[in-house]
Amino acid sequence: MIPATAATLADDTVPSSGKRTKRSDNKTVTFGDAGAVRSLPRWAIAGALFALLTWYVTTRAWGFPADFKSTVEAGASDREIFRLCSLSSECDVDSYTQIVSPLTFPSPRDTWNAAVGLFADGYQGITIWTHIWSSVWRVLRGMFWGCLFGIPLGLAMGLSSRARGFLDPMVEGFRVIPPLALVTLFGLIFGIGDSTAVPLLIFASVWIMIIAARAGVRNAPLSKVRAAYALGASKPQLLRTVLVPNALPEIFTGLRVALGVSWGTLVAAELFGVKQGLGAMIQTAKNFSRLDVIVVAIVIIAIIGVAMDAIVRLLESVFIPWQGKG
Amino acid sequence: MKPLVVKNVEMVYQVPKGDSVHALSDISFELDGGRMLTLLGPSGCGKTTLLNIIAGFLAPTSGSVTLGGDEIVGPSSERGMVFQQGALFEWLSVAKNISYGPRMRGQKASTFQPEVGRLLDVVGLGGFGDKQVYELSGGMQQRVALARTLANDPEMMLMDEPLGALDALTREKMQGLILNLWNDTGKSIVMVTHSVEEALLLGDTCFVMAPRPGRIEKVYDLPFAERALTEDSRKIKNSPEFIEVREEILSFIWAMEEEIMGREMA
Repeated sequence: MIPATAATLADDTVPSSGKRTKRSDNKTVTFGDAGAVRSLPRWAIAGALFALLTWYVTTRAWGFPADFKSTVEAGASDREIFRLCSLSSECDVDSYTQIVSPLTFPSPRDTWNAAVGLFADGYQGITIWTHIWSSVWRVLRGMFWGCLFGIPLGLAMGLSSRARGFLDPMVEGFRVIPPLALVTLFGLIFGIGDSTAVPLLIFASVWIMIIAARAGVRNAPLSKVRAAYALGASKPQLLRTVLVPNALPEIFTGLRVALGVSWGTLVAAELFGVKQGLGAMIQTAKNFSRLDVIVVAIVIIAIIGVAMDAIVRLLESVFIPWQGKG
Repeated sequence: MKPLVVKNVEMVYQVPKGDSVHALSDISFELDGGRMLTLLGPSGCGKTTLLNIIAGFLAPTSGSVTLGGDEIVGPSSERGMVFQQGALFEWLSVAKNISYGPRMRGQKASTFQPEVGRLLDVVGLGGFGDKQVYELSGGMQQRVALARTLANDPEMMLMDEPLGALDALTREKMQGLILNLWNDTGKSIVMVTHSVEEALLLGDTCFVMAPRPGRIEKVYDLPFAERALTEDSRKIKNSPEFIEVREEILSFIWAMEEEIMGREMA
């Protein structure tokens, strides 16, 4: 029916830009070009070193007690210190207090030593890896259910004005409530332990995912929607083949924000009856005034947060390679 | 190909504040199957609204549009649409964009695969099937859009300024491609364009529309599209008869634009 009229217009068919190579893009415009704003490793290292240096200088300026340091350097746990204190005549409760009471901010070296101790002996009789995995697993479960409820609800809100009208007051009302304010109520409803921690993490992420998915649908260009209809797509097909893929960039952005907020909620989520986890570790360490342990947990949370974000960004580049190139 | 019949179509938009805009007033025309109609006019004359009504994206306030006797009540794959840009699906490869229509109809890959390959050749994109659409230039993306519409084998192709975002040289080449597609497939085409030259060269019928209310002011039956199939299009565009019509329409549109400006200033 249609004979090939190819080759008539050959030079238009040369691609204007080849496949993007790693960093040798030869770009002159690097400001405002999202593709070019890729953090370079040497700048990341410089940033991390700057943070570490600031930490070191401030803690040096405030000073830290030598005996506190050496106790920690020995890798002693709270329980061991306490046992030593109660057995030894020179070391009564007063001196125990003396050892640990100076509430100075732990220096990088204190933290390093505490970390070495924690990784070797664990904390509160539980290995550090168990603490870490418990928290990661909790955050992942919260994110999973948050996405499972949030993305379909957000899509529904983007698609239907009824769903939007019905859900909007709830979403807008709930999303401004800090999860920390709900710990006690959730504890009453769900009981202590994971049965509260996971719902709280779901609560932290679900509103973000709803808003992200909704924005993704609302941003669908009219021409794409009309093109799909004019090509014979039905409504369910439009949803599956156009609206959802088109919403992916927003959903991934929501995922990154929700991950950050989930980790931010973790300490509150592990407040009641949770034995294992980085947040629980921070709570216990607080009671023992083990600031160094708190800082180690904070650093671990930060590292896991960065790692998880990197994974999401990797998934982004796999699932939405067209982003910023339209 | 089926004839298009537009009868007494009125389009009135309600805008906030209670005002209404008379976008189209009593539009009636018939277009035989296999014709190429181009719509020209100053901005706001309702040419895109008319195209969207034919496509089924908008329902007219009153009046009827039928294709081959069947009333148009919504979008359908028998009326393919090519947009100015941005309507390709970036998450699909070039070949999958083209096979979108057949796949939505549930066709098997073995059925549409040879057709996709042939269409790639037809629009001059042979070997580009596995590329991603964001890797292509603007002109190539419009070739994909044309092929994607053709894959449904529609009765009629609707084009909303399909070449508006292209550079002058690419635009001229694409005009040649559209002419060839029109001639080879025998499909009806309705094209909205801002370029008077393009409307005259491609359309065997050209409507010049006027705004407020949107209406068809002048109808031209043109010989240039037929001639462009065999003659050099540059030569046609420089021929005295082409220039005469072009200048007539241009001065007409200019007069309307100035009237609009004057009314908006007042």
